[in-house]
Amino acid sequence: MKYNLELINNKRKIISFSTFLILLSLLGILYSTFNTSYKKPINLGMDFLGGNELRIERICEEECSNFSPDSVLGNLKEISKNKKVLNNIKLQFQNNNKLISIRTPYLSIEESNNLISNLDNIVGPLNYESKDSRLIGPKLGKRLLTNCVTSLLVSLFAISLYITIRFDKKYALFALLALFHDLLIVFGIFSWLGIILSVEVNSLFAVSLLTIAGYSVNDTVVIFDRIRENLKSKREGYNETIQLSVNESFRRTTFTSITTLIPLLSIILFGSYSLFWFSLALSLGIIVGSYSSILLAPSLLLKD
Amino acid sequence: MKRRQGWLFFIIFLLTLSVYLLINYPLQLGLDLKGGSQLTLQIIKEEGKVTRDELEAVNSVIDKRVNNLGVSESNLQTLGGDQLILELPGEQNPLVASRVLGKTALLEFRTQKEGTSTDLKTLQLKRLSIKELIEQYSFAEKNQNDDNFLKVIQDDLKDIEQEFNYSSTSNDLYGKLIEIKKYVNKEITNLFIKTDLSGKDLINAGRRQEQTNSNWEVLLTFSNSGGEKFAEITKSIAGTNQLLAIILDGESISEASVGNQFASTGITGGSATISGNFSAENARELEVQLKGGSLPLPIEIVETNTIGALLGSKNILKSLYAAISGLIFVGIFMIFNYRILGFVSVLSLVLYGFFNLALYSLIPVTLTLPGISGLILSIGMAVDANILIFERIREELYDGNTLTRSIDSGFQRANSSIVDGHITTLLSCLVLFLLGTNFVKGFAATLGIGVLISLFTSLNCSKTILRFFITYQSLRQKNLYLPKNNFSN
Repeated sequence: MKYNLELINNKRKIISFSTFLILLSLLGILYSTFNTSYKKPINLGMDFLGGNELRIERICEEECSNFSPDSVLGNLKEISKNKKVLNNIKLQFQNNNKLISIRTPYLSIEESNNLISNLDNIVGPLNYESKDSRLIGPKLGKRLLTNCVTSLLVSLFAISLYITIRFDKKYALFALLALFHDLLIVFGIFSWLGIILSVEVNSLFAVSLLTIAGYSVNDTVVIFDRIRENLKSKREGYNETIQLSVNESFRRTTFTSITTLIPLLSIILFGSYSLFWFSLALSLGIIVGSYSSILLAPSLLLKD
Repeated sequence: MKRRQGWLFFIIFLLTLSVYLLINYPLQLGLDLKGGSQLTLQIIKEEGKVTRDELEAVNSVIDKRVNNLGVSESNLQTLGGDQLILELPGEQNPLVASRVLGKTALLEFRTQKEGTSTDLKTLQLKRLSIKELIEQYSFAEKNQNDDNFLKVIQDDLKDIEQEFNYSSTSNDLYGKLIEIKKYVNKEITNLFIKTDLSGKDLINAGRRQEQTNSNWEVLLTFSNSGGEKFAEITKSIAGTNQLLAIILDGESISEASVGNQFASTGITGGSATISGNFSAENARELEVQLKGGSLPLPIEIVETNTIGALLGSKNILKSLYAAISGLIFVGIFMIFNYRILGFVSVLSLVLYGFFNLALYSLIPVTLTLPGISGLILSIGMAVDANILIFERIREELYDGNTLTRSIDSGFQRANSSIVDGHITTLLSCLVLFLLGTNFVKGFAATLGIGVLISLFTSLNCSKTILRFFITYQSLRQKNLYLPKNNFSN
């Protein structure tokens, strides 16, 4: 066949590389937990903490005039009767000053409406048809977080159970090891993104982790199936058969990853901004998942 | 061969059915695609879980209130045992809905305890001065901020707070004023004794403008037994200096005396009015609340999402671009690598798209942004099964098998790993669907449906199409199935 991946001699390198990635992820998670302002393993977004997120476009002829966020905040403070709203407010102009995005702690609908009309007086007119506003109470946030963590645990448990029933112990153990490896690395990458770029994770991130879990196991199962099938016919030695099986499945695994990555890339490029980080997390998961299915999981099966 | 032809007709039939469904039952779009507001209402219960009956009861009260508000095309559904989701499409302001829905609206009628006349008078006077302060404050707000004027209001408020030994939790002046007003109203309530007449005895509520001024009053119509109770209560205090208080959610909103002329029969006729200086808006809100009845458990609005209509249509466009470009590039990739086989998988993908959308309109699945991303993602996964099969077919062809044989065993041998692999994804979807929030459910539903349909299209449809193709002699050359350079080595 065309592909000739050398697994047997590279086992040590592959395992060291994965260990390195895992350590890097753990480092990110630890750093994030102890050395950041939010003191959490990952930078939780307003889905989990509660808050108010508002994006609205201005109506401008040709180009939108330039405002400094500080001066707008100063003006807001002057005309707002409810100063509480302005504690901890973050305001940004994007898209050549056209788009205003605001983050505040949780507001009632009334407070949020007042904030928008005050804003309209300062930088208006605003296009209400382009409004995107989310208000999440702190109670709901907490609930969402527990919900996401439970979903993750339950589905990992279900997948583990299925794999253990379906394969023998050794295969199951390594498939799950590869799965946790993938999840940990994606989680670690987002810990680092949070530390460096203050990227926040919301409930869609949990969804992406769950999807990655399903996908990663799927990938590994296909290769393990092939290994099992080839071992039955026993044409060559154990290690050689594993290597052969991986090479036989190589095209399939990379092709599937590519056909899954293509639509994700389309979402990243053309899709709505709210799906950007979600698609990125999925893409990363698929790349890491393919690596672990092709190289890591079979390497673990190899005998010394 | 005959059996396959049967499948071909079946697939054509399904395709026609899908197109028919899509034309006649348009897809339901979520708020992030058509614009509108969504409120999540959380039922608050101090102890224990919210029971199914309680959820039903809250649901029906909220439903009545929403209907009485006259919100068009609203949609109310329960979520996960103790939450309700209300959708208001279009540019309808969620503010009014939130004010009307958030209140328990527990209406009570109480009679005054004896010997509390002086206490009541003091409290009523205090309430009056607080109301004046609130009016002054609104006036100051409208006519630019006069800091000195606000200072006076603030000092007056402080005096009142000290008198009651009350410290407010609000940060701003307006919040503090409202808070102390509530406190005084509750203090007034404490001077009254419960009766057995309550909001449950109402059969209707209305509103009208008072004749003497521009204020509004709310009209109550009692049921038969309610009317009797009301007569009984008014009879008992008629002509005394005890007052009758109308209490809403623990706050006394109006206290009235009953004249001596009612001492023998009480106030009969089964109706009463509440005149508590209502504005037109407030009167309408109270009317809606009373018509809907009181909530058996308090609720809190925990989430509000509002998406403008323009943004919604932009989101549709963006998703469409993403889906179509994804489909095209996957198609190019497949045809480039697998030639005729790739073309077959593109055809099954198109079928896959139609079946998916048709099922969405049939079930129905409301399409949201995460839902669409689930659909787009499942395009990639749908091809996965085809890739597995095609790789097998290639191997069989390399081994020198005939085309028909290779195709048959390719489909057969790939079956088990396809089903295995899809089960893990389905497991994830199932968990997401059962435990996830509304938002997440959309993704889980479309991805799950996609994976299931892809089993049918990539196993059955592509096999049928392929079998159909090779009935043509010209399509039976092996090199149409394998890139030439690969075939030679």
